[in-house]
Amino acid sequence: MTLRFAFGFFLLAFIVLPAACFAQARYTLSGLVKAAGNGEILPGATVAVPALGLGATADEKGTFQLTLPAGRYRLLVSFIGYQSQSRDLNLSRDQRQSFQLTAAGNELGEVIVQGSGTLKDKLQTTQMSVERLTAKEAKLLPALFGEVDILKTLQLKPGVQNGGEGTSGLFVRGGSADQNLVLLDDALVYNPSHLFGLFSVFNPDAVQSVDLYKGGFPAQYGGRLSSVVDVKMRPGNPEKIGVSGGIGLISSRLTLEGPIKKGKGAFLVAGRRTYFDIFTRQINKLNQDDPDFNPIPDYYFYDFNAKANYKLGEKDELFLSGYLGNDAFSFGSGQGFNFNFNWGNRVAALRWSHQFNSRLFLNTTASYTGYKYEISNKLDQFSFNLASDIQDLNLRSDLDFRPNEQHALKVGITATAHRFGTGRLRAGSGDGRLNLGSDISYLGQEGAVYVSDVYNPSEKWQFEAGLRASGFQSGGQRYGGIEPRAAARYALSPNLSVKGSYALMYQYVHLVTNSGASLPTDIWYPSRGSVRPQRSQQVAAGVSWLLGDGRYLITNEVYYKWAQRQIDFKDGAQLFVNPDLDSEFLFGKGWAYGNEIYLEKKQGRTTGWLGYTLAWTKRRFPPQRGTSGINNGDTFYPSYDRRHNLTAVVIHNLSDRVKLSGSFVFSSGQATTLPLGRFGFQDVYGAEPSAVPIYPQRNTYRLAPYNRFDLGVVWQLKPTRWFPESDLTFSVYNAYNRRNPYFVYFDQVKDEQTEQVTSYRARQVSLFPVIPSVTYNFKF
Amino acid sequence: MIRITLVSRMFTTGRQSFRAAGLVGLLLGSAALVGCGLQKDVDVELPAYPAQLVVEAYLENGQAPRITVTESVDYLAAPTPQVPTDVTATLTLPDGRREVLKFVPGQDKRTGKAYTHIGTRILAAQPGQTFSLELTDTKGRRVTGSAIVPVLVPIDTVEWVFNDKPEAERRAYVLTRFLDPATPFDYYRFQIHRRRVNNDPEVEYTVEDRLSNGTEYTLGTGYDFKRNDTLVVSLYHLDRPYFQFLQSVQDARNANGNPFGQPSAIKSTIEGGLGVFTVLSYQRRSVIVR
Repeated sequence: MTLRFAFGFFLLAFIVLPAACFAQARYTLSGLVKAAGNGEILPGATVAVPALGLGATADEKGTFQLTLPAGRYRLLVSFIGYQSQSRDLNLSRDQRQSFQLTAAGNELGEVIVQGSGTLKDKLQTTQMSVERLTAKEAKLLPALFGEVDILKTLQLKPGVQNGGEGTSGLFVRGGSADQNLVLLDDALVYNPSHLFGLFSVFNPDAVQSVDLYKGGFPAQYGGRLSSVVDVKMRPGNPEKIGVSGGIGLISSRLTLEGPIKKGKGAFLVAGRRTYFDIFTRQINKLNQDDPDFNPIPDYYFYDFNAKANYKLGEKDELFLSGYLGNDAFSFGSGQGFNFNFNWGNRVAALRWSHQFNSRLFLNTTASYTGYKYEISNKLDQFSFNLASDIQDLNLRSDLDFRPNEQHALKVGITATAHRFGTGRLRAGSGDGRLNLGSDISYLGQEGAVYVSDVYNPSEKWQFEAGLRASGFQSGGQRYGGIEPRAAARYALSPNLSVKGSYALMYQYVHLVTNSGASLPTDIWYPSRGSVRPQRSQQVAAGVSWLLGDGRYLITNEVYYKWAQRQIDFKDGAQLFVNPDLDSEFLFGKGWAYGNEIYLEKKQGRTTGWLGYTLAWTKRRFPPQRGTSGINNGDTFYPSYDRRHNLTAVVIHNLSDRVKLSGSFVFSSGQATTLPLGRFGFQDVYGAEPSAVPIYPQRNTYRLAPYNRFDLGVVWQLKPTRWFPESDLTFSVYNAYNRRNPYFVYFDQVKDEQTEQVTSYRARQVSLFPVIPSVTYNFKF
Repeated sequence: MIRITLVSRMFTTGRQSFRAAGLVGLLLGSAALVGCGLQKDVDVELPAYPAQLVVEAYLENGQAPRITVTESVDYLAAPTPQVPTDVTATLTLPDGRREVLKFVPGQDKRTGKAYTHIGTRILAAQPGQTFSLELTDTKGRRVTGSAIVPVLVPIDTVEWVFNDKPEAERRAYVLTRFLDPATPFDYYRFQIHRRRVNNDPEVEYTVEDRLSNGTEYTLGTGYDFKRNDTLVVSLYHLDRPYFQFLQSVQDARNANGNPFGQPSAIKSTIEGGLGVFTVLSYQRRSVIVR
């Protein structure tokens, strides 16, 4: 299969090169499309030549390229939410032109539609299984505690599940949360969540957009099995200094942006911080004299984002992106015991963009990413410290070559040096009598080269083929593989396309977690010893149908994914500071398949989408390594398997100043493990026997179905001298106050007089009832 | 150099703490807003779970064997002890002699524990010797297990340190020292009872020597004890199967009611059923915190 594909790819390359050689008397128009005023780039904007019926769409960096015969043309540049712009052009050589589009109407109109690309584009592109969302779209939707979260908004898209009530983890087409490649301006983010997964690390004020690839992965992406979450930070305003921010129920945000040098570059610095701790400290202070009062632990998180871009010349530009975030949890018993738990990410990326000519672009990025957690306990003179971290240094270079309008080639290389600190333990005493330590760390090197081509042989056909060769080494062991990628689109009519894709992915680093949720204490582990790279393959086929004069797009996709060397752990695995962690792993297979139906509307006063997913996800871990495997080797459903998932999102522009939004979610119950039996246990001392639960099988029980309706209102306030733009954003999470199941446990029922256990009962715990919130946002 | 290891204690504490921290964090926001009404009784339909024989058999040097054989039940079944009456229990001594334990349900006055089968001979158990147990019943179920007598690891010292608070609030933590043998894979169970050992201990945790083999260990507590408290400090030296059984029991209990917990199967030391068959090797010290 692989060889055949490789042959096909190189055959394609041979077709491409002659085509490039024979292109005569045609010139390339390239450039950038951005918004007037704030200078934001506009991915998805269209640059068209109506006379020829040709056009191009701006890519994720806002750049476009169009190859035309020499001549005089009238260009039409358009983007939904912006006033179209026309410009006459005499094309007698390769040219570069930039366009600045003015927002149509006020901010209200801008935010509804900006940045999502047109449905026509989505119909015509070969790329399937991708969802794009802008921060501005996400800001319109209701959010838990009013905290806009672009990753959580992605959970409203078909094929994407959450890991539990309110959490930001993404489970894409049967993949687990650690199988997502989360990128921030091309730099990897290892743990993209705050507060045990309740919020993502992405400050909506600093983010421009996110692309989620669920399948049909382009060849430039690799290293994770199930999805690519490509987050792009917003560039600063190149025209003027601006300040924006928001004051919410649990956090506040502030962003400063402006030009570094007019026409040369811009910067953006954004920060946010929660203030749970300010309130809880006051509550603790008020109750400090109450002996029955248990102090509330301190908790807060903060993050900073920074981005700067600077033009070195006509053809060179530098981009610097950074992220720094931290969660801090602390508790002091007042009796000498102190507990501190800190965790966070550090990310920095420097990209150099160079344009050789109008057809050849080079982007080279050097990045650093690190994630670390640290738990420290202190009791009187004794201290205990447990920590783990992972750090990466990455260098990648991507070359874009567009020899003609039929081909768009990409070639790239990437290399990463990993350092895995899987467990560091320190224990000591003030008098020096205790001095115990353990430090377990590994090194790893990962690399890949890729080549891909988007080929447009005709109006009806479009192909995308890619080949990625990746490798990894750690502890003297080497792994590698060829990852073919392919996609095709056939236009049955101008409004109807069928598409198909195939992708093979390798994952060389693995998350060590024995919990269903993503916890900050989860650690990353390299492929080494018995732990071999995970591998998955996915085929997908779909049909897209544009309706209502381009106002609606219906997409139906069916997918099948199969994965080898999936990872789980032995029961009772010791995952902390274990020098023999390798022996705790279990290996198995996975399958996922399903059908996703998606209806979108992006224009008009009312926009939104409706999605329905029917899906199955399965895992099987046969007996191995002295164990009976998982579930005695029988197939089981992981906790994130959901048979049905329905989402509906509506945004309605009620007036120039008021926008309403609503979202509804229904999904089948989460698979969970409940004890089927129990036995009485006396232990060696003769206390009352206690019940010990017996868990013979995994995830055999389904919690009740989940459904929730959220409401949101964005009310634009009248401009004032100091705040020309401001709004109040109201959210009502779980508007009809449904008690959705978070988990179920078994409890003893005792006689009040005798304290004897009279029966057992099942209790369902819900996490969030109806939660109203309000956020004040401003900009000046 | 004296080595002190609150490590495993804190290790365990740490694991529980961040789980608790997670829950606290998760519930903090909503609880502050709404408070209550987030739990309710629900009906659950569980698949039938066939009953298994459950054994608790702790042999001790110098004691006649007394073991307990019960049956597991469906989780939501009535809380009535299920004691099978047709189980034949046979103990094989290190020298190969076999003793059929009598089915005489009763309660051990010394430990307060219920038992079902007893032996008549006082056991003489030396480190390294192997005992075996076999259970059969009329339904054809058969449970087997064997246990090696662990070496006794003595307690070196027990000491305590008071904090500097006013006398009414003054509390002490207790440090217990022992020397871990040079052999790897040693496991310990540490307990502190108040006055008597036949109730729940005030302090209990397990320790393994994988991070610091063959060194002196010091096991600690929090500021839990008042002046003149009478404490019984116990240090059990466990074999690996018993340690893993205790861990799995703890993990299984923690998984019930913990959304972050991974359900854990019980790692029995016997085959064909659930439970533990082991030979206890422990030392006790009784102290008054003054």
